[in-house]
Order: sequence, then structure tokens, then C-alpha cells
Amino acid sequence: MQVTLKIFRYNPEVDKTFHYETYTLEAHETDRVLDLLEVVKGHTDGTLSFRRSCAHGVCGSDALRINGRNHLACKTLVRDVGTKITVEPLLGLKVIKDLIVDMEPFFDNYKKVLPWFINDSPLPEGGRERLQSPEQRARFDETTKCILCAACTTSCPSFWGGEEYLGPAALVTAHRFIFDSRDEAADQRMHVITETDGIARCHTVFNCTMACPREIEITKAIGELKMAVITGKV
Amino acid sequence: MGLKRNVSLGTGLRYKGGGPMLVFVLHRIGGLGMATFVTIHILSSFFGGDIGQFANQIYENWVFQIFIFFFVLFHAINGLRITILDLWPKLIPYQREAIWVEWAVFLPIYALAAFVILRTGLAGG
Repeated sequence: MQVTLKIFRYNPEVDKTFHYETYTLEAHETDRVLDLLEVVKGHTDGTLSFRRSCAHGVCGSDALRINGRNHLACKTLVRDVGTKITVEPLLGLKVIKDLIVDMEPFFDNYKKVLPWFINDSPLPEGGRERLQSPEQRARFDETTKCILCAACTTSCPSFWGGEEYLGPAALVTAHRFIFDSRDEAADQRMHVITETDGIARCHTVFNCTMACPREIEITKAIGELKMAVITGKV
Repeated sequence: MGLKRNVSLGTGLRYKGGGPMLVFVLHRIGGLGMATFVTIHILSSFFGGDIGQFANQIYENWVFQIFIFFFVLFHAINGLRITILDLWPKLIPYQREAIWVEWAVFLPIYALAAFVILRTGLAGG
């Protein structure tokens, strides 16, 4: 089948603003949008710039706006988006070149929630690890799946309004550690997420949940954090 | 170098978030509509006289009331849905169904109210 691929282009060394370029190429309905981008870059225009790494939905490098909605290009098939495809960079982050955005503000917000395990207590006597029941593990299992692709955060209208907002990805990470029975820094993280640019700016829009390529129930995780903030119970 | 971070209103509105995004946008429009209504009301009371009379004519107009009732009712019902989901996060996986329920509650009430306002308005009431 023939696919029309319209791509957002911007070269800071040449262009004052962005423009779109359209390419027509042969594709199978089981081809991924990433495959199409590779064909354009490999055979038509080598200057086309986009991020990709594992190409199998694990690294989260190739989150893009495809036909107006955030997806991972490597997990989106032509048959799912049709033969007229528009590919644009993620919203709310500065465009560096073509489809590449500056991820620094995203990772700055991520760092604010202390995204590492904190437990300064000595290990249990005679034990070499901190044990956890299956129920305790299940409490935060969903939020361990995040791959930091930023598809959620850049689909959030609150983040579009201001990049100071922590955003869904950082809140998902906060959930992952706050509800981990082995971690001892829940209070510190709760303090961070209750700041002005924290959880209160979530308006339950659900764009994040729908954009997540890992199918994490992000709004539910944020809802659980909201209840933890209100009740003080983790 | 790089393009500035700039999400315009138009770009944001074009994001294809589906049903949840639609109700989010309508909720915001509803809020703005109510703010407009309250502002006109306050201005009417504040100025009085000809200006107050003019403001009265705006918000007492049945066409304006059809819009304002849409804003108020939608904002209230959608706000109730969000509050319920926020207070009971276990219901969040059923958010799509919650939006369908919201429309099922909103549409008949609004249709009835719009009919009454329209009938009264056309009768010159």
C-alpha cells in the first residue's frame, strides 16, 4: 500500500521556524511508523532527525505525536493509524531538531521525586535482603513498568501550561517508591508532590493514561497519591 | 538553539485525546462561561441605570440562558464525576464508562431545560 507521511521538520541552522515535508512511500500494513521514518532517513533525506534505540517498545526513545496523539513510533503499526500519517515532536518540550525535543525539563522533574530506593536502616538480622510479601509488591507493581518515554507528561494539558508541573511520569515514579514497603523516604516524596507544582495540578484529564505505551493506569496511580496526601496513610 | 517551548491554544485543542479530552475542554469552557455570567451580573448590579439595564438584557436573554445552562450543568456534572473518581481511585479503570454515564445524565436534563427555555423564549416570556 502507498502511505503519505507528513513530517514536522525544523533545522535550527537553516530554518527560522518549522515546516512540514510530505513523503510518499510503499509500506505494509504491519510496518511500524518507526520503519517508515527509517526508510525516509535511509533513502530519501538523511538529514531527518529522530531518536530511536531498541525499537521494541522498551527504551522509550521514540515517543512522538502520531496523527495528533502520543505514541511510541516502534509500537504503532500503519494499520492502526491509516495511510495518511502525520508525525510531530512531543508537545510542551523545546524542539531541538526535527522530531527531537529537549528532554531536560522532563528529567529535571523526574529527579525532584527522588527516583531511587532510600533505606538507611541496617538489613534485617540474619538476612541479606529486605523481604516483601506478594501483596506488598503488588501495591506498586504497575508503576514499576514506566520507561520514561514522556508520552504521558507531554500529553498533559497541565504540563503544556507550564513545565514546572511535575507531570504524570514523575508522579508515577513517586507512586512506585512511596508505596514500596521497603522504602523509608515516603514523607520526603509526599512533601515534594504536595508543592504548588505537584499533584494538585492534575485535573484528571486521562490523556496520560491513554498515551502510555506500557498501559500503566497513570491516573489511578495519581488518584492513589491524592488519597494518600488527603488521608496521610500510605 | 531550538524552537521555543510554546503550546498554543490551537495546538493543545488539536491533541486527539478523545472523549476524556473533550469533556476536559468543555469543563474549561463551562468555567469561563460561568465566570462571564457572574461578571455580567455583578456589573449590572454595580452600575445600575442604562448600563445595568443593558447587562440585564444580556443575561436574561433566552439565547444566552441556553448557553449558560449548558455551561453550568455540564461543569457541575463533570465536576461531580471528577470528584467521585478522585475520592475513589479504584473506580478510575472505569473512567470511560463514567463519561458515558455523565453524558447519559447530562443530555436528558439539558434537553428538557433547553426545551423549556426555548418554548418560554419563543412565546415571548
